[in-house]
Amino acid sequence: MIRAQNASLVYRDHGRELFACREVNLEVREGEFLGILGPSGSGKSSLLYLMSGLKTPSSGVIDYAGQDLNALDDAQRAETRLKDFGFVFQYPYLLGYLSAFENVQIARPDQDLRTEAGELLSSLGLGEKKQRLPHELSGGERQRVCVARALLGKPKVIFADEPTANLDHTNGLQVVELLNRHRGGGALVMVTHDPSMLGEADRIVRLEDGELK
Amino acid sequence: MNPLGTLVYLRRNASRTLPLMGVIVLAVLLICAIVSLINSIPLSVKTIYKYTSLMMGVSPRGDASRTPEIRKYIEENCPVPIGHIALCRASGTEVKSIVGRWEFVVIAFEPADLQVFLKRMAVTKIEGRVPEEGQPEAIISEPVSRNLQLKIGDDLLSPEKADAYSPKKVKVVGIAQTKNWFMFGDKAYYQANHFPPIDFIIVTAKNPADQPAMDRWTLHRFKGNRAQVISYLEIERQANEMFKTLYKILDVVIGILVIVITTMMGMLINIYLGQRTQEFALLQALGYSRRALMSRVIKETAWVVIGGWILGVLTSVGMLMLVDRLLMHPNAYALDLADKTALMYTIPVPIAIFTAAILTLWARFRKFDPVSVVERRLV
Repeated sequence: MIRAQNASLVYRDHGRELFACREVNLEVREGEFLGILGPSGSGKSSLLYLMSGLKTPSSGVIDYAGQDLNALDDAQRAETRLKDFGFVFQYPYLLGYLSAFENVQIARPDQDLRTEAGELLSSLGLGEKKQRLPHELSGGERQRVCVARALLGKPKVIFADEPTANLDHTNGLQVVELLNRHRGGGALVMVTHDPSMLGEADRIVRLEDGELK
Repeated sequence: MNPLGTLVYLRRNASRTLPLMGVIVLAVLLICAIVSLINSIPLSVKTIYKYTSLMMGVSPRGDASRTPEIRKYIEENCPVPIGHIALCRASGTEVKSIVGRWEFVVIAFEPADLQVFLKRMAVTKIEGRVPEEGQPEAIISEPVSRNLQLKIGDDLLSPEKADAYSPKKVKVVGIAQTKNWFMFGDKAYYQANHFPPIDFIIVTAKNPADQPAMDRWTLHRFKGNRAQVISYLEIERQANEMFKTLYKILDVVIGILVIVITTMMGMLINIYLGQRTQEFALLQALGYSRRALMSRVIKETAWVVIGGWILGVLTSVGMLMLVDRLLMHPNAYALDLADKTALMYTIPVPIAIFTAAILTLWARFRKFDPVSVVERRLV
């Protein structure tokens, strides 16, 4: 479904080349839960951003559904992300002036998925709080809103970048469990440094110094 | 409702958007007020002397005996039909304007001529009466009475007033309702008491629309001759000439003002957009294209700028109405409450601010990397 072929991401720092990812070959299969495990600074988030089209590889190819993501322009890549991908970031980014319900809706602006958004929030335990603004929610609740946003419209792939990093262990496990349970047929690619969060993963790959081990 | 609809952000972030609108409102208010008040100066001049557009005066220079000859020449050669021609006397006085006192003429008519010219001045009603023959009396128009705070029985001219002199106290005996400014006295009194003993000619075009043509012909015909022509055309030309430099200065002031306000707004918009970096990064990461985000912000900016401008114009009109009511109207000072020139001067404000906003936006989005924000490297 998504395949990284010899994908590298290089940063330049005062003339030095720093490899965030070095010649990574990795495939995300349809419907699987893929865990990417690695210590901090190992390049796992960079790999996630490469595979989701948020970053362009310095070399190599990211192939999604038979299409090289690098060959698409900025607007086409954005459209792919909006239609086919869902995202959960490490920090529970929500728009402060929109309610939880509206924050979920923004994931699919071109479709009227209000019913689904309401159902998702209810199933994530936020049915009563869907009209609340982000500052009226706890950290765990905010991350659950982000989960609902990522799940809206049944995306083909959900990318989760350390979604549990700012939550306690119980809340973290709950978020992973919710993501896994509600993702439908979509694939879930989750990056974490905590192996205990990947108990439900179909497959786990390890990344160290930008290289798959 | 689309949560990312143009007005949603503006309404729900009023504490951020209203100050931006406020600056635009103040800028428009400032420019509108400056231009309208400056425009009120020439407008006052033109309003005060507007009555001369209904008639024309010709006075002999140096040789009082030339009056009949001049009159005959006009009667025989004037290219437009003459309505009425009268021989008058005059004396000088002053009226008030927002930039000081302006010279004004008391014209003294014979009783029969007075009736003709009162009609010509579009008088609808007279409070009091017209001056009696040979008496030190005058009739003034309502704007003059308001301007000089004169009522019936007050002295228009007096031996004690150096700027409004007459050997005897000339009392106001009538106040005429009309928009035109005038002070009319009695010719017999002037002939007996005022110096120099010069009759001058007042002539009207039969059709008021022909008055400018008559003015032009007379100005041309008597140019360089021993006669002075008093016409609205000439007064208007002199007023325009007089204020040309003032308008050049005004252009520079407004230009500087627009630059200062635009720079200030550019900085404010930069801060405003900076506060929304996280929002833009999140939306771009989720899949909103740069173009879609820019289009959204441009629409929001357009609402703020156009809304601010409209609000500014309405506030300006309100403020000018207040100024007119409290300061201008009680003194009969002219002020155009819907001054188109003032509005035109404010148009560069929204255009410049909008341009500054677009440039700021473009600079911000040009190399915008949403990952650096969602990874919290830049927040």
